[in-house]
Amino acid sequence: MLKNYLKIGWRNLMKDKTFTLLNVIGLSIAFGAAILLAMSAFFDMSYDKFHANGDQIYQVYDVAQTPRGQEAGTSQPEPFAEALRTEVPGVEKITRYLQDGGLVIYGEKEIDLNTVWVDADFFSMFTFPVLKGNEHDPLQDQASVVITESAANKLFGNEEAIGQTINIMINGKEEPFTVGSVVGNVPPQSSLEFEVAVRFEKNAEYADTKGVWDSQYHGVYVQLPSGVSAERFEKNARSFTELHYKESMEAAKRDGAMPDADGLYRQLKLLPLKDLHFTGYRKGYAEVSRSVPYLILGVAFLILFIACVNFVNMSIAKSAQRLREIGMRKTLGAQKGQLFFQFWSESLFVFLSSMGIGVLLSILLIDDFKSMFRTRISLDMLAEPWAVFMLLATILTITLTAGGYPALLFSRLGTIQSLKGKLEASGNNLVRNALMVVQFGIAILLISGTLVLWGQVQFMRNKDLGYNKEQVISFPLNGKKNGHEVLRLLKDELNGNPDILEVSASDNNLGRGKDGSQWSSAIGFEHKGRNIRTNALTVDYNYISTLGLQMAQGRDFKSEADSLGVLINEAMARQLEEKDPLSARLEVGSETGLAILGVVKDYNFQGLDRAIEPITFFMGEDMELRYAYVKVAPENMASSFDAIEQTWKKLEPNAEFLGSFLDENVDRTFQREKTMATMITSGSIIAIALSCIGLFAMSLLIVAQRTKEIGVRKVLGASVASITVLLTKDFLKLVLIAFLIASPIAWWFSDQWLQNYTYKIDLGVWFFVAAGLLAMVIALLTVGTRTVSAAAQNPVKSLRTE
Amino acid sequence: MLLQLNNIFKWVQQGGQRVFLLKDINLEVEEGEFISVMGPSGSGKSTLLNVIGMLDTFDEGEYNFLDEPVHQLKEKHRSNLYKQYIGFVFQAYHLIDELTVYENLEMPLLYKKISGSERKAMVADMLDRFNIVGKKDLFPTQLSGGQQQLVGVARALITKPKLILADEPTGNLNSKQGEDIMELFKQLNDEGVTIIQVTHSEKNAEYGKRIINLLDGRMV
Repeated sequence: MLKNYLKIGWRNLMKDKTFTLLNVIGLSIAFGAAILLAMSAFFDMSYDKFHANGDQIYQVYDVAQTPRGQEAGTSQPEPFAEALRTEVPGVEKITRYLQDGGLVIYGEKEIDLNTVWVDADFFSMFTFPVLKGNEHDPLQDQASVVITESAANKLFGNEEAIGQTINIMINGKEEPFTVGSVVGNVPPQSSLEFEVAVRFEKNAEYADTKGVWDSQYHGVYVQLPSGVSAERFEKNARSFTELHYKESMEAAKRDGAMPDADGLYRQLKLLPLKDLHFTGYRKGYAEVSRSVPYLILGVAFLILFIACVNFVNMSIAKSAQRLREIGMRKTLGAQKGQLFFQFWSESLFVFLSSMGIGVLLSILLIDDFKSMFRTRISLDMLAEPWAVFMLLATILTITLTAGGYPALLFSRLGTIQSLKGKLEASGNNLVRNALMVVQFGIAILLISGTLVLWGQVQFMRNKDLGYNKEQVISFPLNGKKNGHEVLRLLKDELNGNPDILEVSASDNNLGRGKDGSQWSSAIGFEHKGRNIRTNALTVDYNYISTLGLQMAQGRDFKSEADSLGVLINEAMARQLEEKDPLSARLEVGSETGLAILGVVKDYNFQGLDRAIEPITFFMGEDMELRYAYVKVAPENMASSFDAIEQTWKKLEPNAEFLGSFLDENVDRTFQREKTMATMITSGSIIAIALSCIGLFAMSLLIVAQRTKEIGVRKVLGASVASITVLLTKDFLKLVLIAFLIASPIAWWFSDQWLQNYTYKIDLGVWFFVAAGLLAMVIALLTVGTRTVSAAAQNPVKSLRTE
Repeated sequence: MLLQLNNIFKWVQQGGQRVFLLKDINLEVEEGEFISVMGPSGSGKSTLLNVIGMLDTFDEGEYNFLDEPVHQLKEKHRSNLYKQYIGFVFQAYHLIDELTVYENLEMPLLYKKISGSERKAMVADMLDRFNIVGKKDLFPTQLSGGQQQLVGVARALITKPKLILADEPTGNLNSKQGEDIMELFKQLNDEGVTIIQVTHSEKNAEYGKRIINLLDGRMV
């Protein structure tokens, strides 16, 4: 029986190769795309899930009420972890965690490795299996380090790593360490990344911050005993917070902060490790959002849906040609179940082969996909049992719905009617039209999403950030020499070059440089009885002019001698609430305080998703400089860039040159948006292509069904144009309805997304009109080719074939 | 008695009015009969045939087939009944284009769940009997109309039915081919198969032992 079904199924498929091809191509593309997208979404969602104790590990963060509203942060002071362990019951294990670049020196090699500074518990909390060396408590000894396999390869090549001595630059001095253990490379789905792990006590800030509660600079992770809930621990920790943050809580109360729902001014909270990758603190609380992987899954689902709609529509439309077979089979005693099974097994056949091709496609395209979307998925994921299970479950669901619906319709047809070859009601057309509306709605939704995303990315790229990003190159001072010293050498070396206009430095980069680092540092102090909080930046004296920043008031730093003064930006000036900010002194550091020399016009030193925050510029020989800024003439930029690189190589022969123009750095900060935009764009292109395949197939069928009508109309004198309009009109109506339904939804989603940005485009109606028009034009072209040729046919011919 | 129709009515609602397709039909058919149903277009011939074949339902009346009350049977039971006892021959042959002659003949047996070897034997037997062994691997479109109808009759006969229902079996054939089919029916009838055929042609109707005339859904 099954053989008979498959035989007739196969012959039917072969009889109409165009349709089979359209169906299989569409479904294969959809499966391929959906597999890749789903893989990247599941990859994203599997972040930090590989730790054996993962369910009991939390990141500690605190939520503080301030006069500016609620603020949340993960930075903790040095004594915090130890105090928490001893004072609050229920800490099984705890580790401080500071991630920083570290210059590792082994013989002639100087390599900047991703270094973390952690406590001894780190390796017993998190699952990073030891491959070689000390397996238990690898960091017990402060003079030993743990490195990953790849770091071992970089440093020692094929030599044995265990027992080797390496030097790490700490506070400008080389300090020796012994390699105690080698662990496997950190899995790609890990938020905690490192190549070298060193004891926390060795970090550069440790000596200055030991026992100091108001210098917060590292994260803390705790592991609770099983059975202790995070809520209970958070409650237990309230008295701890009362004790250690008494002053700051009182200051907040004094400055007019409102208590939170629990009546508290500061609370310690725990964030589950699983949520780490998806959490942001920008809004003043831990905002866990998995919307990106869900969005990707959503796009995958929509693409599959469109392809399935094609299949359903084509099957139903094609059923007209098989009505006699259905009727005859019923006459010969076929029952509903048997007919259902026959048609369903046919669709299963199509789906299985498309799925096979889809898997092949995804294997072929995975490398392009990875580089395009910057995901680190691998094909091994496909071989895992749950993936195979997912694939099978998907195909079963899809065949049962997309294959089952037409099969159900066919099996229910009346015997006599199907023998006569007539479809009963126009009910099928309603379903078909509804499906096509949904299909085009999805396409329009994705197109408008694409337009809005790219609009915002272009906007952010072109926005005037308040500084000169086109002419300035920044690079990290990642060599052995002290920042101030190397800056002086740089200035001397580059002095003679007419294309180099100015050289300066600061302790932070603008945007995201090639080294991939991005951080901020902030300080708080009392000013006239109020707490003031500002970002802090250490600069060289000509930073303002090198970056092309504008002064609003007062003067710039004139020379290195101005180190007792500071510059502030307008936002800071507003926060100080001084009539004349230039007369104020900031009580930071020295007893006498620092004079405000000038006010810099506001500029976007952070991402465009934030409003401009207060910032204060400090200068001083005792403060570190980490990035050099070089302003070059607009001519010969490439050769200037080379000249800078050469100079750097000369000054620091062992360090890598990681320079890039600031506009590139700014671009890098939009990586997430760009990836998302690329993904949505590809999704909408596929969606449109699939919808067109479906539309094309439908136009073929409808034209075929209406051949007689066309013939009669032509005999009665209709023109080619009027018939084309007649045939095309119905399709365009569907696109129009789809537009009316989809654009409000698209508008809502775009608006929601844009709320994340302080600086954003206006959500004009044109984005949606353009998307609708695009869909309309594409539909018109797809249907038009077929309808025009049908309309142009000789009526005698079409009447005769009827 | 093979079957018995008592006061059968069938109607459709059209513009709020009942239009009768069959009106008070009373018919008894004995085994071994050969009945021709005649009447003008729209008189209800095909409808009557479909009702007898259980392909179509009726609105009022009783229908007993081999002492089974058809009007009380469930769909599944009914389909088992006609699957076993009734064979259909259509004007437009209704062979399945995607299947070969052999496979078309085999199909009713598949639905009767007959084993593979038995199927083979029965199909071979039928091919032999109708002299179409050489055509068994051809598709219906490769045959002439007469040959297609021959396959159609062979397919109807393969399940060894008691009753053959033929709806204008010669309507699409030329006179020579038509005559061949009618001769075949006569021969089958002589072998004991009951036949009810619908026809327009007086000449073909003469092959029947009894002629029923229909007009506007009534027997006259």
